Amino acid sequence: MIDADKLKILTESAKYDVSCSSSGSSRQNRKGGIGNASIGGICHSFTPDGRCISLLKILQSNRCAYHCLYCPNRADADVPRAAATPAEICELVLAFYRRNYIEGLFLSSAIERSPDHTMETMLETVKKLRTEYRFNGYIHLKGIPHADPLLIAQAAQYVDRMSFNVEFPTEKSLKLLAPQKDKESILLPMRHLAQKRRAFAEEHGKHTARFLPAGQTTQMIVGASPESDGLILRLSEAMYHRFSLKRVYYSSYVPIVRHSLLPEKCTGLLREHRLYQADWLMRFYGFTAEELASPGENLPEEYDPKCAWALKNMQLFPVEINTAPLEMLLRVPGIGTLSAQKILRARRYCLLGFEDLAKMRIVLKRAKHFITCNGKFYGTENLSAVKTMLSLEAREERYEQLSLFSTQENYQSALTGQL
Amino acid sequence: MNIYLTDGSETCFYTAAFRACTDRTCQVTCENNVQLSLGAQIITVLPDEEKSARVRKKLQECDPRSLQDISLILRRGCPQKEMIALAYLRLIVRSGAPVRDRLSLSAVRDAADAIKKVLNEAHRLTGFLRFMESASGIFYAPFSPDNDILDLILPHFLRRFADQSFVIHDIARKKAALYNRNECIITPTDESVNVILSDREEGFQMLWKEYYRSVNIAQRPHKKQMKGYMPVRYWKFLPEKQPPE
Repeated sequence: MIDADKLKILTESAKYDVSCSSSGSSRQNRKGGIGNASIGGICHSFTPDGRCISLLKILQSNRCAYHCLYCPNRADADVPRAAATPAEICELVLAFYRRNYIEGLFLSSAIERSPDHTMETMLETVKKLRTEYRFNGYIHLKGIPHADPLLIAQAAQYVDRMSFNVEFPTEKSLKLLAPQKDKESILLPMRHLAQKRRAFAEEHGKHTARFLPAGQTTQMIVGASPESDGLILRLSEAMYHRFSLKRVYYSSYVPIVRHSLLPEKCTGLLREHRLYQADWLMRFYGFTAEELASPGENLPEEYDPKCAWALKNMQLFPVEINTAPLEMLLRVPGIGTLSAQKILRARRYCLLGFEDLAKMRIVLKRAKHFITCNGKFYGTENLSAVKTMLSLEAREERYEQLSLFSTQENYQSALTGQL
Repeated sequence: MNIYLTDGSETCFYTAAFRACTDRTCQVTCENNVQLSLGAQIITVLPDEEKSARVRKKLQECDPRSLQDISLILRRGCPQKEMIALAYLRLIVRSGAPVRDRLSLSAVRDAADAIKKVLNEAHRLTGFLRFMESASGIFYAPFSPDNDILDLILPHFLRRFADQSFVIHDIARKKAALYNRNECIITPTDESVNVILSDREEGFQMLWKEYYRSVNIAQRPHKKQMKGYMPVRYWKFLPEKQPPE
């Protein structure tokens, strides 16, 4: 059994990785095996920082040969070091899984000795888990840049999701802050895996695709380097398009390490939140990065990105709720995917009035300025009055510090992803 | 006004619905939470297979999915569940067709809310249920959900833990699902049972608590969100939320 100190070291080193989702795979249990994956994902607990625990998030080792400036585990840092054996990790996963503590494993690692050696150990862990322990639960494996493509491809066969962290939006920042990594070492394996996944789906039909069933994701640190939101969103859009990524995670920079090349201050959570909102708009609402922010520009802080877009394009509004197509309903501030679906369903039976929308619990605070119900407009005509009403500051207490979740609206949006 | 008292079963609810067919002002409720108002007359309904079957058949004709919907509504742990189900049932029968998309009607919204609450809790508990290993190797999981969801979450655990014997015990409703790697039965139980834990159990619970502490980022506290996702009423059975001894 792994001892508590080792678990503590290896978990604390892994906790800054944002990804925790366990969705996207419907791996079945096999006869004599244990576990399966749940397509929608399951959260098993929540920590006091409000994040969910779905997977056992752990490093194989935190003994690192690299010198990434921002990383608490970089080679010259004075931190307690530990490494777990494949058997120790497998045993822990099974024990936690049988008690229904977790949905599966999230395995990452520092670069111990060499990328190949590290990848080999991680491969051994996931292989053991699948074959020896007959574990069919969810596995998310971090890819190691510069590792042998064969090792990566082999590991990918055993896991549900794989991710390589892009870390920074431009090669320049990457070279500066993570000198031993380069763009190709990260993007090339991502491209290979995406190609392989596509080929596999073509060969076996879309629905039986078993190669990386939950696809790939990546993560970027926001605020440690000077890139703008517009640039970050364009990169995300390109990766969604080219590598069919499932998600891009944004992690606002927290100064754990002090260095002259790194900013002193935390990047606000609000910036991270706005990026996620924009990301959602690109994936589920039919927006392009171009519409949300120009390349050199950050997302506005006062309004959520959809609201900001609508205020710039007032000539398209108001839209009639009873006739507008889905694509347009989705562009109304305050109407999310679920609300839009509700409206589509309900309006087949009768003309919907403002009261009906309220009863269906559609949030109208923002939406009322952009819609008509049955020809009637309930909002405010004057654009600048609308702008003042909808800005974040107008809704904040004057002296309260601007914190991310102090308004109910931001809080709700962070919970549900609905805009 | 007539109050129809059911025994809480689906059959009995459909029997009551049959008898209250033309009784517009009636109330239907199940025994354990009856509240008498002035001039109310109590009619105790006994389950009647034939009457119930007639109502079910009619519903099946109007909307095949409605039986499933009503079954979910009746699992709610609130006293109004029969009334919500009855209003929904009446609307379906009157329309002669599915009504679930007509969200501008309050009966449909109430039914949809009730269904959502039941299904949400079932989904949550697939995550929040906690097993402990007993000395005999059987995994035991006590819980007390708001709604009657034991048999809703059971298939999930049967698929997942096919190779492990387990007991899932609904303490509030005094019933348990027993699985021995072959077959599974649901049986009535006492409120609490004594389980002798295996030697390893305490060690793994301790490791889990250590993990829970370590994975938290203390610089970013956000308890409100934690409680929003994981309401305090579920903490009773979570080892990681027990105060340190």
